[in-house]
Amino acid sequence: MREPVSGKQRGATRTRVQRGVISILWALAGVALVVFMWEAVKFVGSFIDLPLNTSDTSMPHVWTMVDAFSNPVVRGSDTTVLQAVVSATLTSLKIALGGFAIGVTFGIILAVIMQRFAFFERGLLPFVIASQTVPLIALAPLIVGLGNRISLGPIEWTTTYSVMFIAAYLAFFPLSVGALRGLQAPSATSLELMRSYAARPNQMLWKLRFPSSVPYLVPALKVSAAAAVVGTVVAEISTGVKGGVGRLLIEYARETTSQPAKVYVAVFGAIALGLAAAALVSALDLYLTRNLPKESQA
Amino acid sequence: MSSVQTSHQAVDVQGLWKIFNEGSNNEVTALSDINLSIKPGEFISLIGPSGCGKSTLLRVIGDLTDATRGEVFIAGETAHIAREKQLYGIAFQQAALFDWRTVRRNVELPLELQGLGKKERRERALELLELVQLSDFAEHRPWELSGGMQQRVAIARSLAVDPPLLLMDEPFGALDEMTRERMQNELLRICQETGKTIIFVTHSIPEAVYLSDRVVVMSPRPGRITHTVPIELGERNEDTRETDTFYAGVTAVREALRGRSTSASPSRIEEF
Amino acid sequence: MSTQTAVQSRRTGRFSGIWPPILIAVLFLAAWQIFVVARDIQPYLLPAPSLIVTNFFTDLSLMWAAAFYTGTTAFLGLVFGTVLGLVMALLASRFIVVNHLVTPLAAGLAAVPIIALTPILNNMFNITSRTPRVLVTMIIVLFPMFVNVTRGLLQVKPVQLELMRSMNAHPRTTLKVLRIPNAIPFFFTGLKVAAPLAVIAALVAEYFGGPQEGLGSRIASAAANTAYGRAWAYVVASIITGLIFYLVVVAVEKWTTPWTGRTQST
Repeated sequence: MREPVSGKQRGATRTRVQRGVISILWALAGVALVVFMWEAVKFVGSFIDLPLNTSDTSMPHVWTMVDAFSNPVVRGSDTTVLQAVVSATLTSLKIALGGFAIGVTFGIILAVIMQRFAFFERGLLPFVIASQTVPLIALAPLIVGLGNRISLGPIEWTTTYSVMFIAAYLAFFPLSVGALRGLQAPSATSLELMRSYAARPNQMLWKLRFPSSVPYLVPALKVSAAAAVVGTVVAEISTGVKGGVGRLLIEYARETTSQPAKVYVAVFGAIALGLAAAALVSALDLYLTRNLPKESQA
Repeated sequence: MSSVQTSHQAVDVQGLWKIFNEGSNNEVTALSDINLSIKPGEFISLIGPSGCGKSTLLRVIGDLTDATRGEVFIAGETAHIAREKQLYGIAFQQAALFDWRTVRRNVELPLELQGLGKKERRERALELLELVQLSDFAEHRPWELSGGMQQRVAIARSLAVDPPLLLMDEPFGALDEMTRERMQNELLRICQETGKTIIFVTHSIPEAVYLSDRVVVMSPRPGRITHTVPIELGERNEDTRETDTFYAGVTAVREALRGRSTSASPSRIEEF
Repeated sequence: MSTQTAVQSRRTGRFSGIWPPILIAVLFLAAWQIFVVARDIQPYLLPAPSLIVTNFFTDLSLMWAAAFYTGTTAFLGLVFGTVLGLVMALLASRFIVVNHLVTPLAAGLAAVPIIALTPILNNMFNITSRTPRVLVTMIIVLFPMFVNVTRGLLQVKPVQLELMRSMNAHPRTTLKVLRIPNAIPFFFTGLKVAAPLAVIAALVAEYFGGPQEGLGSRIASAAANTAYGRAWAYVVASIITGLIFYLVVVAVEKWTTPWTGRTQST
């Protein structure tokens, strides 16, 4: 009955993919604007004293950054900076995804336990929620310190596992809250319907609670993936664990006097790491929500 | 088409068309050649199945959306000027109250936008809350009120600038039957006390018959007026809903909605 | 426990109140303490709760100083980031181009470890000052504030917009009377995300060098000096700082917007 008020709903007829492509084009325009402002600040800084250092050593030209991609990592080396950063970023991505997977698994398990047993919801949920408001990341240097000092039978505990543990730990909390909210999402009517079928608790879980938790799970997955990425990079930074992009950031930051553009390549690596994780979760989102009604653009 | 000022109808709709996405492949004709004149003080209901364009017609009259073709005059002014001059008040199915304002300040909103002084608008709002019998709730928040009470606040707000015309889009649609009948009596009382012209969109046949001087029956694809059923119930009271005239009116509207007119109707039915 | 009325029974059931979390906390700490003492776990692996608490109170003035330093960085970053986020949201709600430019960027940056910008800012600004840390905190705070406030300004119910139009309201009036009040709950949602983030950002930014007064630096140096009890005590101080930031936001929200958290009137 209620027809569109005006022509502003044009976008609604576009598919999700089309809208995504348009967003990416706009984002690229936004990046172009940032590049322009960067160079503009440098230009203005060459005439007027700004409260920041606009010299080429602290703010290299954008083209110098691009050039730095193909520079050798150290003089005479065959590996370029780009190759080093790509491989470090992939290492970090693997650690982050591993931590994400572990965190998600345990998060869902905890959510199911809290949903089934009221005592655990009452007793644990306040801590799970509070944990999202406190800087758990502060524990990173202490947990990474465990590396090489404990052994778990056949598995040798390396610092890589410590980093993954932190990523998992940070991914775990937001996910368990979202998953619990999702498991509790079914309406009273749906629950009564299932009860009228004499559904057993397991059937209730698989046929009703998990499917209806998807709209809550997807945003939680996004937050968790971001937490896993940030956790990985910060754990690498705070402890100097080798191999990942966090360590490269610290290393390259020390070389700014000789190669000022190098650290920017590492920063781009960290950005790419976040974008890659976000893209993977978006793919997961498309898969999980494939059977749901397409949300109407508000 | 004759000149604007010839008829000083409360509302005059002439050859009105509303076409969404005109020219594209998902073109929808929401309203097709609507002609409707409403006398001052008249109570008109627009009734019809979903998609017949009754809400759209109300929105075109209120200049909330543009007409594709045709013209709308309110008290001799174009719909656009009428909106700028605040010649109508509107109430929707959702009360659309602002949670962050008290009941009184919700009623004051249109007066505030007109730049009325603090004291005047406060007095006026309290007067209106008395009219809808909510004086005791002036300083409450909207969410503390029941659905029927919220709707009464919305009606008080629509009356705030004392417009000659009220547009009502299923204002009682979300209420239970008992509350609904009480609200209908309230509305008729308010109409009598204020002498407003009313255009009332509804899904309910008994509601349309009980409230209206004329029931305008619409049909979808394309949205158009098919019948106009005059209702002559006289003064409404508690027994009105059980009189034969009332039932005859209900039957006449129902038949009109089914696309035929019946001789059982005591009323004259204009067919289009 | 049957599932069908779980939600209701949970509110009023026998496990209600504050006892379950307290019980679980006590059990958890006791188990931790007993485990560490009984198995003779070395503090570099896991210090006993008693050791952490002792360290926390013996070095209370150190804890306070470090928390104050990091808290100040976080607070400044939070204020600047919030103001900038608000300005950008107002621009984005007024000019569609700004919205198109910034919204996808903000969404894309959601998973990006923005903290990685710290070494760059350390070069651009004076590394021995607080400035680079405040700036990186500001950038991290900016995005959740921008995203939430923009949403609040734009996600107004269509019927409320029609109402404003029926009253012939100027867009500026609609902004003042409808959009801004509508955005206030969203503002606090953003702030509840941003405030803990600010503490985390201020703390982590210290790992990139610069002044050594804050919680992040203290945790790292205590750990490096094998003072694990003190390192964990600084972690406790960090947690308290984060909680204070969050709780202050919650309190301000309760105080300023009594209408939120209620069922919205329809």
